[in-house]
Amino acid sequence: MKSGLFGFAILASLVFVAVIVPFYAPYDVVRNWSSYGPWQDNPRYAAPEWSEVFTGKHLPRTMIFENDTFRRAIVREYIPPPKGPLNITLINMTKTFYYDFDDFPSELSLAITAVFPAQSPAVQITLSRPDGQFVPLLTYSVRNEFRNRSQVITQNVAYSEVMESKIRAWIARENNGVSPDKLTNATILPEVALFAKNDSAQLDGHQAHLLKGFYQLIVEYTGFTLVDDVGVRFIVEGTVYGLAGTDDHRRDLLTGLLWGAPIALAFGVAAGGVVVLIQTLLGALGGWYGGPIDEFIQRASDFYLVIPTLPILILVSLFYRPGIVALLFYLVAFGIVGSTTKVVRSIVLQIKEEQFIEAAQSYGASRGRILFKYIIPRIMPYTFALVALSVPAFIFVEASLSFLGLGDPVLPTWGAIIGEAYTQGALFYGWWWWIVFPSAGIIYTTIGFALLGYAFDKVLNPRLREE
Amino acid sequence: MGLARHMAKRAIFLAITLVIAIYITVVIANGGGLIDNILKAQIKNDLTQSLHNNPQYNLLNQTAKDAYFNDKYNALLEARGLNEPFLAKSFRFTGDALTLQLGRAQYIQANDGSFQVVDIIGERLPRTLILFTMANVIGAVFGIWLGLWMARKALSSFDRGLTVLSITTFIVPPWVYGIFFILVFGFQFHVFPTQGWIGVPAPPSGTLAWYGDVFYHMLLPMLTFAFATFGSWSYTTRNLVLQIMDEDFVTAARAKGLPEHTVLTKYVLRAASPPIVTSLALTLISAWQGAIITETVFNYQGIGQLFFNAIGQFDAPVVIALTAIYAYLLVVTVFILDLVYGLLDPRIRALRR
Repeated sequence: MKSGLFGFAILASLVFVAVIVPFYAPYDVVRNWSSYGPWQDNPRYAAPEWSEVFTGKHLPRTMIFENDTFRRAIVREYIPPPKGPLNITLINMTKTFYYDFDDFPSELSLAITAVFPAQSPAVQITLSRPDGQFVPLLTYSVRNEFRNRSQVITQNVAYSEVMESKIRAWIARENNGVSPDKLTNATILPEVALFAKNDSAQLDGHQAHLLKGFYQLIVEYTGFTLVDDVGVRFIVEGTVYGLAGTDDHRRDLLTGLLWGAPIALAFGVAAGGVVVLIQTLLGALGGWYGGPIDEFIQRASDFYLVIPTLPILILVSLFYRPGIVALLFYLVAFGIVGSTTKVVRSIVLQIKEEQFIEAAQSYGASRGRILFKYIIPRIMPYTFALVALSVPAFIFVEASLSFLGLGDPVLPTWGAIIGEAYTQGALFYGWWWWIVFPSAGIIYTTIGFALLGYAFDKVLNPRLREE
Repeated sequence: MGLARHMAKRAIFLAITLVIAIYITVVIANGGGLIDNILKAQIKNDLTQSLHNNPQYNLLNQTAKDAYFNDKYNALLEARGLNEPFLAKSFRFTGDALTLQLGRAQYIQANDGSFQVVDIIGERLPRTLILFTMANVIGAVFGIWLGLWMARKALSSFDRGLTVLSITTFIVPPWVYGIFFILVFGFQFHVFPTQGWIGVPAPPSGTLAWYGDVFYHMLLPMLTFAFATFGSWSYTTRNLVLQIMDEDFVTAARAKGLPEHTVLTKYVLRAASPPIVTSLALTLISAWQGAIITETVFNYQGIGQLFFNAIGQFDAPVVIALTAIYAYLLVVTVFILDLVYGLLDPRIRALRR
């Protein structure tokens, strides 16, 4: 009985998750699971935050600096002739932050929103470092592609060759012992080089030495009207995120994992329930009526046991790309008869000989009435056990199809997450969180149903109870 | 004669099953007219290319060109039988698949560059058969041994613990364990290669070393699979043995003073063998099908991984051919096990007299 309680506790916890999850992440979030937009501020391939316990380091969190956290200084001036006539707006945006983590950030991201009526403004971006050095990163003019009035252009500042050559020039200027060969040929990782000490290891990738302290990002904007304005958004991406990390699309895996629970539960229980009920009914029908009906159902279930269900299901998914509800229908179609039919039939054959059936016949109950009022209620408990035992199988069918990339195109399911992790090489790169958590979710659910089914089985199967 | 008749009946039933299964495959695959469109596009493309290189054709004027092209195209459609109605075509495709005329792949090649589906499947089928048969045998032997042990110590904490372990391991499919095992034994401890059926880029030279390498690559998927299946064996064996132990003939054997070991192997296990054989049939069937994902996880180039690749590249002829092969594999497995069952089960053997 203990195992049944355990199983019940596991399922209760899953139901609890299913109830809680809309509060953590509303359905709207999940509907956008497969689109890029909502996730782009998160770091990529970030491990869970608590995993720093294993490394003993304080790993970098993502720091997002919104526009209104920047300090701004604005000068608007009309310069009359002879020097002009010229309108000019100088905006100086600075953001100071303290970098105290034990590892380099994983990415830097800077977006500039320029508001200008006519002429392209100029922007200069500089990073000031704790060692007092200023690194000029970029000077460029915001492109005025559409040539219409009152422009608002938001641009992500892309890492470019210009920026790379500026970083190389800066390192060369500081003359810190990096070999000339490396200076020209080594790959520059800006998130490392900019946050590393000025020593000979600065260009050695992640072997460089981290420089902690106060950094300052400076954006100097020069516009050519009196109404120009600028907004800056700066993100220093960390290497850890949340409780379950992120994937290649920067998605918060916790959201997907939590939503995986109700999806798996609903799918498994619906498929298992419907399939087992239909099979039970047909098995009872065959066992009770006998004759040609029985023969037909028997042959049909033999047939269903032999056809290659999974390859055919894969074929169906490949050609018709069903959503999760359509998949449910296909599974039911391939499970109308099967092993449950056989089990139920043999039970009905036993019940048929019992005296209460004879009694019912003697007072003139119709055959249909006996089947539905006397026999089916007797086999219902077995059916519950069989439903509980069959749920994991259906969860796994869905997971397997999703793993192959043939699952529901929108919703996050555990199998889909594992499949994406696998195809993105998570095993090879060691992004363990991406694989371990969804697998653990599947196995946890499976254990729950298995324990429950096993407990039912013991209660209902007198032979096992005798032990 | 009883057994022969029984087997003949089964053979007929399985043959009908096979035909229906393949027919379903063909219907599903052609349901949207998808394969036809692919084939027609392919023919059009081939024809355009070949005519493009024909100087005489290039000298014709546009109307003559079009007329010539359409003539040729329709003739080709006729030759490939693509302008037949669906029903006739579906029967023809079913016949082709049944006689293993599997046609040409669109993208996937065999190692020697052949596009013939028979060649592609032929070079991969043995790998899958060897891997999964061996894995099944290992899982079965270990599981039955464990099951007997569990039955002997029934209801001890050893038995209870292993029962729960058995149930969990066999419900979770092998590919989930595969991912964990690759992570642990492949990438963490470097005990086993993480993928492939043979070392790349250069397999070792020498026949013995070559076989050794193949076996070494087979080991981790094999152990994974055995791990995922032994539970079903130990659990089934344990329950069967516990049931049979209560039967009168076992009590009689014990009363005769036979040693416990003899009772267990000669009486109990003998009586348990028919259901065990049935369970072997079922695990083998699910093994063949599960190979699609298990092999993909291990990047083991058998027919399962081929199926996955064919899906990814949308190589429909290969997908349909493999489904047909799967139907064959399943039917043959069931037939062989029916035969073994017939030999083991005294009730069917009795029909022979």
